[in-house]
Amino acid sequence: MTGAILFHELTARQRIAALVDAGSFSELLPPPERITSPYLAQLGIPVSFDDGLVIGHARIGGKKIYLAAQVGQFVGGAVGEIHGAKLTGLFKAAARDKVPCVLIVESGGVRLHEGSSGEIAIAETMRAIFECRALKVPTIAVIATDIGAYGGIGILSTCCDFRVMTEHGRLGISGPIVIEKWMGKKAYDSANRALVWKTSGGKTKYLLGDADALVHDTADAVRDGISKFLGKSNAVSLAALKARQKDLAKRLKRFGAATDPDTVWKGMGVRNIEAASLASGPDFAALAKRGK
Amino acid sequence: MEKFTKSFPSKPLGAKTAKPWALAGVVGSGNLEVLMERGSKPADAMECHVETSIPGYKASWLAALADFAHHYPAGGTKVTINDQGAPPVLVNLRLRQAYDHLTKGDK
Repeated sequence: MTGAILFHELTARQRIAALVDAGSFSELLPPPERITSPYLAQLGIPVSFDDGLVIGHARIGGKKIYLAAQVGQFVGGAVGEIHGAKLTGLFKAAARDKVPCVLIVESGGVRLHEGSSGEIAIAETMRAIFECRALKVPTIAVIATDIGAYGGIGILSTCCDFRVMTEHGRLGISGPIVIEKWMGKKAYDSANRALVWKTSGGKTKYLLGDADALVHDTADAVRDGISKFLGKSNAVSLAALKARQKDLAKRLKRFGAATDPDTVWKGMGVRNIEAASLASGPDFAALAKRGK
Repeated sequence: MEKFTKSFPSKPLGAKTAKPWALAGVVGSGNLEVLMERGSKPADAMECHVETSIPGYKASWLAALADFAHHYPAGGTKVTINDQGAPPVLVNLRLRQAYDHLTKGDK
C-alpha cells in the first residue's frame, strides 16, 4: 500500500490505513451508524454513510492520535452539519484527552446546500483547535491533494499548529475560479495550472512559511512529516501574533505588486526556477533557501 | 431520488467473515457506495436497500442485484446503496469489492 502508490491517489480510508500503525485505526461513527445529512436528503441529493468524513483514533509509531480524513469525491469534501459536527467533536476529544489531532484535508470549504450549519461548524471547530493549542495538544493539517484546502477549511487548516504539504496540495481562501470571476481572466487565469499551483501550491506555501514541512507524495513521507510534529506545539501568544502580522505586512510590501509568481520564488531564495519546478518535497526545500 | 427495498435468494454467507461490515466506492458523479453488513435474516436471502439520484431504472437495478445474489453466497447480508448515477457494470464491481472486503478483509 505504501511507497509505490502516490498519496494523493488514495481514498480517504486508504490514506488512513497507509499512514497509521497496522490495524490500529478504530473508527468513530462508522458507516453502519448511518449518520447522514438530513439536508441533502431533503434536496434529493444522495447522502453518504460517513457524510464525507472518516474520524477515529489510531497510533503512529506507537503514539496515540485522533485523526480525520475528508472524502474529496463526495461533494468536494465540503463541510455540512454532520461532517462539521464530527470534526468539532474530534478536536474537542483531542483537547479533553490531550491526544494530538491530525486532519487529512481534502475540501473546498463549506457545503453550500447547508451553508449556515457548515459555517457554524467551522467556527466551532476553530474554537476546539484553539482549545487544543492552549493546552499544548498538537494539531496538524495534512494538505496533499489537488482539491486542497479552501474556504473555511483553508482558514481552519491555518489555525492548526502545523501544516504538512506535498506539491499536489493547495491552500487558500477563495478558489482559483472564484478569484477569476471577481478579478477577471487577465488578472488570474484559473485554467493556467502552473499559475494556480505556483500561487497556492505546496511549494510556494512552504517558501512563504505557510506550510511547515514539504514532503514527497507517498504515505511514508507524509507519516514522517506528521511524526516530526507529534511531540511539538506552537503556542498562540500575543507576541507571536504580532510578529506574524509584521511578517505578513512585509510580505505584502515585498510581493504585493508582483505579477509573476516566479518573482516570489526568486525573492524567497529559489535561484534555479526550472530545477525547483521539477524537484519534489525535501529536494525542493534543499534547492530553495527557506524564506526569512 | 428513487428508493426501494427488495430481498433476493442467495446461498448463505460463510460462518466467518473478516469483519462485520465493509464499504466499497464513494458517492461521486457516476459512482456509488455499497455498505455490506452481515447478520441479516433470513440466512438464505440478500436484503437490499437502494437510494439513487437517477429515477426510472429500477428494473436494471433489480437485475444487477439478483445476478450478484445468484453468483455469490451473500445470504444473510444487508446491502445498502447510495448511488449517484453509476452504470450497472460499476454496481456489480462495487458489490464484488464490498463482498471481498467483508469476507477477506481490506488487503
